[in-house]
Amino acid sequence: MLTLFLMMKRRSKILRISFIVISCCEIACQNNQHAENIHASYDADALNSILIAADSLNTFPFLEERVNDIKSALKNPRPVLLCKDSLSDQQLLAQIIALNDSAFTQFLIDPFSKQPYRSEVFGIYPARQSDMTTVKLTYNLASVYRVEMYNYALNISSIALVDLQHQKVLGSYYLSNSQPDIPLYLKKLAIKIAIESPELQLSFGLKPQEKDALMASTKTSLNRTRCERSRHLCVAPTFVKGDKALWAIVDLTDHRLVGIRWTNVGTSGPAGPMITEKRLQDDKITSCYCEVEQALNKYGWNMNYMLTSSDGLRISNVSFNNNEVLRSVKLVDWHVSYSGTDGFGYSDAVGCPYFSQAAVIAWEIPKIIELRDDRKNSIGFVLEQTFRSEGWPTPCNYNYVQRYEFYKDGKFRVSCASIGRGCGNTGTYLPVFRIAFSGNQNNFSEWNQNAWQPWEKERWNSQTPLTSYTAEGYQYKIENTQTGYLMEPGRGQFNDQGRGDFNYVYVTKHTKDRDEGENDLVTIGPCCNIDYRQGPEKFIEPAPENIQNSSLVIWYVAQLRNDDRKGYEYCWAENVLEKGIWNTKSFPCFCGPMFIPLSKPGIKQ
Amino acid sequence: MQKKYLIFVVSVFLLNSCKEEMVDFSSNNCKQNPFFIQSMGFIPANSFFSTSEERIMGLVLHQSDEVGNPNARIVKSFQHPSWRLGGWLAPILIDNTGDIYTAPAPFISLLDNPVANQNTIYRVDSKTGIMNVFMKLPLADTNSIQNPFGIIGMALLCETNTLFVSTLAGSDRQHERGAIYAIDIPSKKIIDKLSGIDAMGMGISYVTGKRELFFGTGRTSEVFSVVLNKKGEFSGLAQMVISLSGLGASGDDKVRRIRTDALGNLEIHGISFNYNLIPQREKKETVYHFYYEVESKKWMLK
Repeated sequence: MLTLFLMMKRRSKILRISFIVISCCEIACQNNQHAENIHASYDADALNSILIAADSLNTFPFLEERVNDIKSALKNPRPVLLCKDSLSDQQLLAQIIALNDSAFTQFLIDPFSKQPYRSEVFGIYPARQSDMTTVKLTYNLASVYRVEMYNYALNISSIALVDLQHQKVLGSYYLSNSQPDIPLYLKKLAIKIAIESPELQLSFGLKPQEKDALMASTKTSLNRTRCERSRHLCVAPTFVKGDKALWAIVDLTDHRLVGIRWTNVGTSGPAGPMITEKRLQDDKITSCYCEVEQALNKYGWNMNYMLTSSDGLRISNVSFNNNEVLRSVKLVDWHVSYSGTDGFGYSDAVGCPYFSQAAVIAWEIPKIIELRDDRKNSIGFVLEQTFRSEGWPTPCNYNYVQRYEFYKDGKFRVSCASIGRGCGNTGTYLPVFRIAFSGNQNNFSEWNQNAWQPWEKERWNSQTPLTSYTAEGYQYKIENTQTGYLMEPGRGQFNDQGRGDFNYVYVTKHTKDRDEGENDLVTIGPCCNIDYRQGPEKFIEPAPENIQNSSLVIWYVAQLRNDDRKGYEYCWAENVLEKGIWNTKSFPCFCGPMFIPLSKPGIKQ
Repeated sequence: MQKKYLIFVVSVFLLNSCKEEMVDFSSNNCKQNPFFIQSMGFIPANSFFSTSEERIMGLVLHQSDEVGNPNARIVKSFQHPSWRLGGWLAPILIDNTGDIYTAPAPFISLLDNPVANQNTIYRVDSKTGIMNVFMKLPLADTNSIQNPFGIIGMALLCETNTLFVSTLAGSDRQHERGAIYAIDIPSKKIIDKLSGIDAMGMGISYVTGKRELFFGTGRTSEVFSVVLNKKGEFSGLAQMVISLSGLGASGDDKVRRIRTDALGNLEIHGISFNYNLIPQREKKETVYHFYYEVESKKWMLK
């Protein structure tokens, strides 16, 4: 998200979105209203858990030394953070001998970029007989030490068996997707990050002491990282209060608190579900946003929002200054087709993590973000949701962003982006929006060279090089006798790196006696049609209905072709090695129309 | 006096009903090669069926160039047009006549797998190779749009020719409405049903001295067992016998499949499962091997 912000900051001339997350860390859901009653049947611990935004930029002064140690280590010819626990002379010698062994140090440098990985010696222990099963050389067990090193970028543990008597390595091996026991100083650091975090203090009721952290639980958590999604090194110090235990997931790769959650204490220590990054996220999102609607009232805008099973983040009953605007808006499908292979692609639905038809799910809670202009004046707000595959940004994994922008002057934009990476560089993404306007007496018109041309029946149209727009760039108009909106499609003018929507627009009639997508829709169309047949046409054909003075639904389908060429990346993402660990560089392809209220002065009608 | 007599009668009845039947060990392996394989020029020993091809919907027959190794190079493949009838499929079970049983399971979307068909069992005839609907299990009273799954697992009790089918149909986050059906194959009749349990992968073993059906659920990482009687019906309540909690890639694996070897040991395939359509390729599958320790009467991880 930070990368996205920095890229936007570079390019934006008119609009900047300040990524100050307004309420990502409140107790219970974002809007802390009537939660107890509505959620009575749900797990209160999940509801009250807290997810800390990854881009909150929270940091602590006590981490400075640690960060400097990492920076210094990465500059060394042998880029390794040495073990900082109190070590005997024998342990120190074993560490030196191990770090001079080429097999033990084979993963210190990325072979392609020649950049160093972040590696750290976690422990030096007297070897046990069970460590020696593969050693064929003679040795005196009392003088053999086991040196354990962790590679944060590759998530690999390297182990060397060092014979101090002969000052040589008897053998070494590595374990993929494995973390050694963390050293005492990292354990203390994890606890300090937890107890210094305001979110934990608020939830615990006071600032706990270091001695309050259950070391046993911390140790238990080290069998496997608690961050199975980010694949970072995470541990879970636990703080007991009464009959409950507060679990804190601490990320030791990024040095931050990931989230916290209470569980009941059993008779032999903290019990209940094993708390991990994924469980924390999935339970919170489900209990707060998948099963109940949240209300949002800001700058004259009033609406409800919730995550759906397969239609992304839905907003409903949207009004501005008490005037009804939208009945609902949602993102029905993402069609992804690959032109290199005939008929190959996917119809991805985005939605909730549990019990859903979503192939790409929400990991984070919806964000409400302040929208600012170039002078940093607040001009509105953004409601944003991301959906991710577990393996993103590796090939055939996906990341989608859904974003609603609401302006203080009554404008609003419905948009989304793919952030790759998909199964290849020949992909075309076609997101399908369903935008249902309020009112039963609406009419729809298209700008045709010099006048508005009304649509009399249900139909579709595409945006081509020959499409005509008003001088202000508007292509369509939806209105009734009281109010209306002009529709400005994406043509690369929104300063969000979008390169144009090349849209298909469909207008269908809504009637109460049949459901054409008002409720959750199953996948509406196949992956790989290369024409207007993206799904909404099935509500038009074979007998289009009259749509004059009717309740109308606009379906908006953009066509976004991905690009992996250096300097031109679009709908794409790449892993880059930064400060010894892999970070993701994102190249989103935003699309979607802006709606401008007709009552705005100076608009040609 | 009458009261005492009644108590005695009831006690005798309860004691009899609780008496455990000891059964001889059997490997429960009666799978036969479908006849049509050879008639199509496929070498049975090198051939296998798949429902997990990302670009081919339905059932596919492959022949590899190495016996017993499905990861070896595929030298030829075949798909009868009828094998796409059920959309994307999941379980494959071959019986003692070579008939193949399978069922739909959505892949990424419901486009080819309407919810109404998710409780349908298909059978490929061993002689003709043509797939048809074998039978449709009752659909749950409440179909949840949130839950796209129906039939997940299949197991066969060779002794009685009973097909066990697990389904998640109708379940939602608050309500566990899945079931295991016991179906007599010759008569196509449901002879028993275990209700209110979201069973997934299943396997049968005799190693404990009982005829037992083992199954995992979509809700927890636990493996349950339920004793079967000599007719292939359920006998008693399901008991938790193994937990995968804390094991594997994510620590919360659910049972995708259970295989039993010739000795009755359990090979349990665990994956992350949350009733969504995240594709299988994004989930790391772990295979756990459990053996039965007679002394402690417990299943132990190898």
